[in-house]
Amino acid sequence: MNKFLCFLLLIFTGIYLNGCGMKKEAGEGKLVRIALVCPLTGDIAAMGQGMKNAATLAIEEANENKVLNDVRFELLALDDRGDPKEAVNAAYQIASDKAVYGVVGHLNSGCSIPASLVYNRYNIMMISPASTNPKLTLQGFKNVFRICATDDVQGSFAAKFICKNSAIVQVAIIHDKTPYGQGLAEEFKKTFQGLGGKILSFEGINLGDRDFKALLIKIKSLNPGAIYFGGMYQEGGLISRQAKELGLGVPLIGGDGIYTQEYIKIAANASEGDMATMIGTPHEKLPKANDFIEKYKARFPNREMQPYDPYTYDTVNIIIEAIKAAGMDRAKIIEQIRAISYDGVIGTTQFDEKGDTLNKEISCYFVKDGKWLTAQ
Amino acid sequence: MANSAIIFPELVNGITLGAIYALISLGYTMVYGVLLMINFAHSEIVMAGAFFGLFLLSFFLKFTFFQNNLLLLLTSVFLLSMCVSGILGAAIERLAYRPLRKTNRLMPLISAIGVSLFLQNLFMLTLSPEAKPYPSVFPAVNFQLGAVTINSIQIFIIIISILFMVALEYFVNRTKLGVAIKATSSDIETAKLMGINTNSIISLVFFIGAALGGVAGILVGMYYGSIKYNMGFTYGIKAFTAAVLGGIGNIPGAMLGGFMLGILESLGAAYISSAYKDVFAFIILILVLIFKPTGLLGERAQDKC
Amino acid sequence: MLKKAKLLEIFFIVIIALAAYLLHLKQEFYLVHILSLAGIYVLLALGLNMVIGYTGLLDLGFIAFYAIGAYSAALLSSKGFSFWAILPISILITCAFRFLLGKPLMRLRGDYLAIVTLGFGEITRLILNNWDALTNGPKGLPRVGETIRPITLFSFHLNSEISYFYLILFFVAASIFAIRRIERSKIGRAFVAIREDEIAAEAMGINTSYIKLLSFTISAVFAALAGVIYAHWIGFVSPESFSFWESVFLVCMVVLGGMGNILGIIFGVILLVGLPEFLRITLGGEFVLYRMLLFGLLMVIMTILRPQGIIPEKRRALELKD
Repeated sequence: MNKFLCFLLLIFTGIYLNGCGMKKEAGEGKLVRIALVCPLTGDIAAMGQGMKNAATLAIEEANENKVLNDVRFELLALDDRGDPKEAVNAAYQIASDKAVYGVVGHLNSGCSIPASLVYNRYNIMMISPASTNPKLTLQGFKNVFRICATDDVQGSFAAKFICKNSAIVQVAIIHDKTPYGQGLAEEFKKTFQGLGGKILSFEGINLGDRDFKALLIKIKSLNPGAIYFGGMYQEGGLISRQAKELGLGVPLIGGDGIYTQEYIKIAANASEGDMATMIGTPHEKLPKANDFIEKYKARFPNREMQPYDPYTYDTVNIIIEAIKAAGMDRAKIIEQIRAISYDGVIGTTQFDEKGDTLNKEISCYFVKDGKWLTAQ
Repeated sequence: MANSAIIFPELVNGITLGAIYALISLGYTMVYGVLLMINFAHSEIVMAGAFFGLFLLSFFLKFTFFQNNLLLLLTSVFLLSMCVSGILGAAIERLAYRPLRKTNRLMPLISAIGVSLFLQNLFMLTLSPEAKPYPSVFPAVNFQLGAVTINSIQIFIIIISILFMVALEYFVNRTKLGVAIKATSSDIETAKLMGINTNSIISLVFFIGAALGGVAGILVGMYYGSIKYNMGFTYGIKAFTAAVLGGIGNIPGAMLGGFMLGILESLGAAYISSAYKDVFAFIILILVLIFKPTGLLGERAQDKC
Repeated sequence: MLKKAKLLEIFFIVIIALAAYLLHLKQEFYLVHILSLAGIYVLLALGLNMVIGYTGLLDLGFIAFYAIGAYSAALLSSKGFSFWAILPISILITCAFRFLLGKPLMRLRGDYLAIVTLGFGEITRLILNNWDALTNGPKGLPRVGETIRPITLFSFHLNSEISYFYLILFFVAASIFAIRRIERSKIGRAFVAIREDEIAAEAMGINTSYIKLLSFTISAVFAALAGVIYAHWIGFVSPESFSFWESVFLVCMVVLGGMGNILGIIFGVILLVGLPEFLRITLGGEFVLYRMLLFGLLMVIMTILRPQGIIPEKRRALELKD
């Protein structure tokens, strides 16, 4: 019993002292923390770690360029493992840290929504670079924003693009049963059917699976002109590869989740001709985007860019911009962000009254010779 | 949606998948047979084996000698990576399970979960959180056998796994060491009295199980073309299910369970729904256990925690 | 002796309650939140202990019943039910599921039961993720436009962290009290008898499959309780919260803390809930990536250092070694 009490005290004083330590440091200088919460370990760690790299880059630049005199920005990167419970824990940790003025995160909608309740209670602004569940901004919270478009925009754009630019009329749809993937797939289905196309099948898969041949054999027997995939590059790449191995040589079409070099690495030669939609102006037309890619490569030479890195980079910069204009006041920063118009690497970002981005420009990309190229 | 034209391709796919499950489930079942513990870290050994195979493959492919000699390349890659994964498996047993041998039966389980977390994160941190492409050493050729199309990699996977399973059956039943394994597995105390060094037998069991898991890892890499640090989990849970389906502790049972699960999954995805295919597989498992509580070929299981 | 232990326990609960209030005053919401989370896990672990610790059945899918509790609460709450009405309904629903699953399974032995419960856990998660009409699939509950109503107690709305903490603490204390009663009752002794030797227990006239089913079903009460509180407290449920790993960690908490011993279990929970949080705070910068690596390593070390559990059950410690 005594040992038990001692240990309990030890753990909690440990957490407590650490918490205090953070605050003390914050009181001394003009330290401004920007928190990033995403899965840094666990199954989708690759994406989360990419986001961390992009955020690190943005913060380092802000400090180098002395965006604000006598203010030092610091990245507080927290891990939520893609687990809602841990996401809420991290949100409380942020809420208890007075030096945090903005939150970038989370990645999964399942984490963003419960965490947003906490941020709302403590009036901290959050911008999610990646959560696409419409519910996030429909909760009526003033402090919640997202920089990625909701699923409807991309799904329907892909459907229109196919109808206009190709002879494909029959499509099989696969999605990964995440709010993101399923949302994309449902929007695509709606628009495509509205335009007179035919949906041959609509199937979900489980995250983490590697074998999709059973499903693809069935799809092959239906003779689709293309496969639309709502999901991320890992499963997408495997599906593309296995489809071609089975002799189903039709293009795979997906959203921004597959627009990454990783996808081509996984699908190998099978990815030739596959297509992805991506929010924002094609980066050849945006000098800032090219610049970002160069800088990213220079700073993290061994890492491939992940799908949400450009979004994260812009998000951090938007927060810094808002802090610059509004000063150290959590409420004023939120006001500032509502009114902001920011030219970044994914184009111009402005928010509507719900907190969703108004940047709804979509570009199409094709894989050619192992690279993503802009479609004309 | 039901369609009879796709049944043969689905069966071929299911058998390939089942071959991989069967290889992995041997590791679970052998360890269970000897120590009555669920080796949760086995799934991570499959992952580690896949990475060892990747290193060896990319290393050997630098030499033109190996590039021209496919058989030699594959033999050396498989044997070497089996050794490395086997040593890893035995080392885990020595460090994380052996100190717990005399304790409550669930303690090694907890330790295994710790090892599993550790290994997964170790590979993520030291290698890469991203997927690694696997070099394709095989020319992918499709063969037509009547109504069935099968490609060279599928044939390779099925042959390799059957080869290893037959070898294991032979080893366990026909050699002195194999009989020692069987003795240890049926009663560890008596085996000790008979002069068997049970500690080295247990190490050997872990070595063999892990080596087979490593082979399965390489096969997964070759078949799907890429590997990732978290790939083990799904295979682990499926292979463990397969082991129980066949009757845990029973080697032919694990093989049967593996093939059954692969085929069920493939047919489930084709004829029911790909999102529900695992539900289907687990329901079959539950039904089998309700009607035959010791699995298809099993005889015994430990009751106490 | 007994009285002293009880006093100590009450003293302990009061201390925690006061400490939480102090933290609340100092605006340490994070710590209060972690304490509440630990409380939820204590509820779950107490339930699981009923099966693993007392009756000796390994259950790898306990989280499924937590999920059923949480989802039924989220569904009922958006239909306008209040917390106090939902609580008994959810408990009934969850126990019914548990009973129906347990009924045919009680003839399964040891590890076969483990894999069936694992299978049921996965089935539950997959159904939650796929049955869009009922569970809203991966998008989670409540749906857009619906909310989970806050808990009200005598026209007092529970909405601050500390009020939820006290609610959870109350239920934890009540559960511990109830479990102490069960432990010392005839049924409790029957549970342990089955764990020690099922055949001998049967010979003593214990209806083993009935008793096993009883412990299996009672344990679901705690899972449902935790689930209902969780849904109200966090305000959102989605399938990600109910993965297989959650079940596994729960087993770790019970076993590592010391099966069968309530104090040990609480200890195990605090260890496994607190440690990742502790590591999250202490590991800054690049080290944040090493969090789960260290956690895994520490788990191995802890089992090797305290192989009998951190605070083993007294009754078990007296067992003869074979």
